[in-house]
Amino acid sequence: MTAEAHRRRTFWQILLFAAGLFVLTGISAGSVYLVNKAREDNQWVVHTIEVENQINSLLLEIRRAESSARGFLLTQADSFKIDHEKAVAAITPALDKLTRQSADNPAQRENVEKLRAAIETRLGQFAQEMEFIRQGQPDKAAALIREVVSTDATAAITKVATGMIHEEERLFRLRSENADRSQTFAASMTGIGSGLVVVLALISTWLVRRSARARDEAEARLRDANLNLESVVDERTADLREANDEIQRFAYIVSHDLRSPLVNIMGFTSELEELGGDIFRRIGGLAQVSANGAPLAPAGPGEIVLEGADKQLSEDFSEALGFIKTSIAKMDRLISAILNLTREGRREFQPVKIDTRELIEAIVSTLAHQAAEARAEIHIEPLPDIVSDRLAIEQIFSNLIDNAIKYLKNGVPGEIRIRGRTKLGYAIFEISDNGRGIDPKDHQRIFDLFRRAGTQDKPGQGIGLAHVRALVRRLGGTMSVSSELNAGSTFTITLPIAWNVSNRNRDR
Amino acid sequence: MTQPVTIIMIEDDEGHARLIERNIRRSGVNNEIVSFQNGTDAMQHLFGADGSGLVQKGNALLILLDLNLPDMTGIDILRQIKENKYLKASPVVVLTTTDDSQEIKRCYELGCNVYITKPVNYENFANAIRQLGLFFSVIQVPPAAP
Repeated sequence: MTAEAHRRRTFWQILLFAAGLFVLTGISAGSVYLVNKAREDNQWVVHTIEVENQINSLLLEIRRAESSARGFLLTQADSFKIDHEKAVAAITPALDKLTRQSADNPAQRENVEKLRAAIETRLGQFAQEMEFIRQGQPDKAAALIREVVSTDATAAITKVATGMIHEEERLFRLRSENADRSQTFAASMTGIGSGLVVVLALISTWLVRRSARARDEAEARLRDANLNLESVVDERTADLREANDEIQRFAYIVSHDLRSPLVNIMGFTSELEELGGDIFRRIGGLAQVSANGAPLAPAGPGEIVLEGADKQLSEDFSEALGFIKTSIAKMDRLISAILNLTREGRREFQPVKIDTRELIEAIVSTLAHQAAEARAEIHIEPLPDIVSDRLAIEQIFSNLIDNAIKYLKNGVPGEIRIRGRTKLGYAIFEISDNGRGIDPKDHQRIFDLFRRAGTQDKPGQGIGLAHVRALVRRLGGTMSVSSELNAGSTFTITLPIAWNVSNRNRDR
Repeated sequence: MTQPVTIIMIEDDEGHARLIERNIRRSGVNNEIVSFQNGTDAMQHLFGADGSGLVQKGNALLILLDLNLPDMTGIDILRQIKENKYLKASPVVVLTTTDDSQEIKRCYELGCNVYITKPVNYENFANAIRQLGLFFSVIQVPPAAP
């Protein structure tokens, strides 16, 4: 999975989440609003019904008052009178209630005012009727009733009330429709919203599953890659180990097998030398015989003195043999050096705790004679202790200190300093001198086997630094040099503070 | 005990063989020297066709052995000689170019009597051979007295 795809996927997921949140918020707000609206609409419907009820109950009370008044007029019974008074008393509160209820509707309010006027007229008439009856003039009361029936008041009440009821019925229909619509709307909104949320959830699930699958695949690939890497590393390590072993074996066999013919060359050169001695003695003897003209007994070695051309021949012969023998000796030393190096490479290191200062002081004391001859002072500064192979560390430091003493400037008192410090699990040692220095172009060369740099006025094979570097590497460290011609040299060795057998010895 | 010691030289390098022989002779040792240039022939001679070593029973031998042979290692020959009841009494001188301490140790463990590193330095070599010659003359059984 590329970073770009990953970013895009994350973006989509965030967008989806935001959309889901938005839809949910919308649905919630809409639902609350619509539910409130539906409740309000329902309230209005209830209100309409209440108003209608109130109108009906008002009319009922008026009819009751009318009928009880008539009953009283006919029977003069008190029960009708009481009933009439109750009804009359109920009319005004009922009317007031209706007035309050219809306050919201200007048209109804107007109607209520008309109704109130009509009812007040009618109440006045009721009072008059009752007054006539009380005064004992039922005829007048009956006449009044008849008159009332034909007057506008009753008709007006009926008409206005009917109008109001019609109006309320109209409102009821309207408001019911409104309430229905609100409820339907709320229901459909909830439905659509829920559907949307479900769809978003499905998309989200799909995305999550897809990314989980992609992650699983990536993990599997990573695992494969790791396994592969491990096997590759193992393979390479094995290859390197094998190559290293092979080089070691090769160097050993080569140097070993090179020595074998060298034994012959040296041996037969010596034979030749002896033969040469015999031959020249005989030549000398023959020359003397011919010179003296008398045969002599074979002379003993050393008694024959060659002369002239014979002497020259003998000297040439000896010189040639001398060069051959010097070369053989040199070759033998080189081969021995290679043998020693490979043997060193095969030696198993034993890590032990080393008191570095004590070890270096011991080396310095063995080199004290050379140091005094070169007028060199060796200063040892505080050094960190390490765990490493004692013999290897000894060889490293004695080679470097020996070199420092060996390559001082002629006639200048030497000053050699050994410093140490630690850094990140490594001990860093510096061996610096004020000697003749090394040209920067030779810095690599001095570490090569059999290579030397600078004025060749000191004996040496060019092995020391190659050996030191091989040892440092085997001990898991590195070494470097910083130097300028005629400005001294500083060799820096970095070694692990606690070297452990498992990392290198296992290779052999 | 009238039998002179026979020197068995197992050395693949002709030059080395010649040098050793010359220096042995120069040291005044005149015993018979039987040379072999490979391990197989030497084993054939030492152990016989049946490989039991019976053929050498009663023979006084001194064996000069090179460790690097073309067909087998001298270490193997040394081990077999020292394991054979007829041969194990014969002194074995290992002559080789290797001065590896481990190899020297191994040879002595296997029962070699002298281990000589072939030096390139002729003088040292001759000296060693002469000393070996002295050793030969000591062990050389003198011919029957008149």
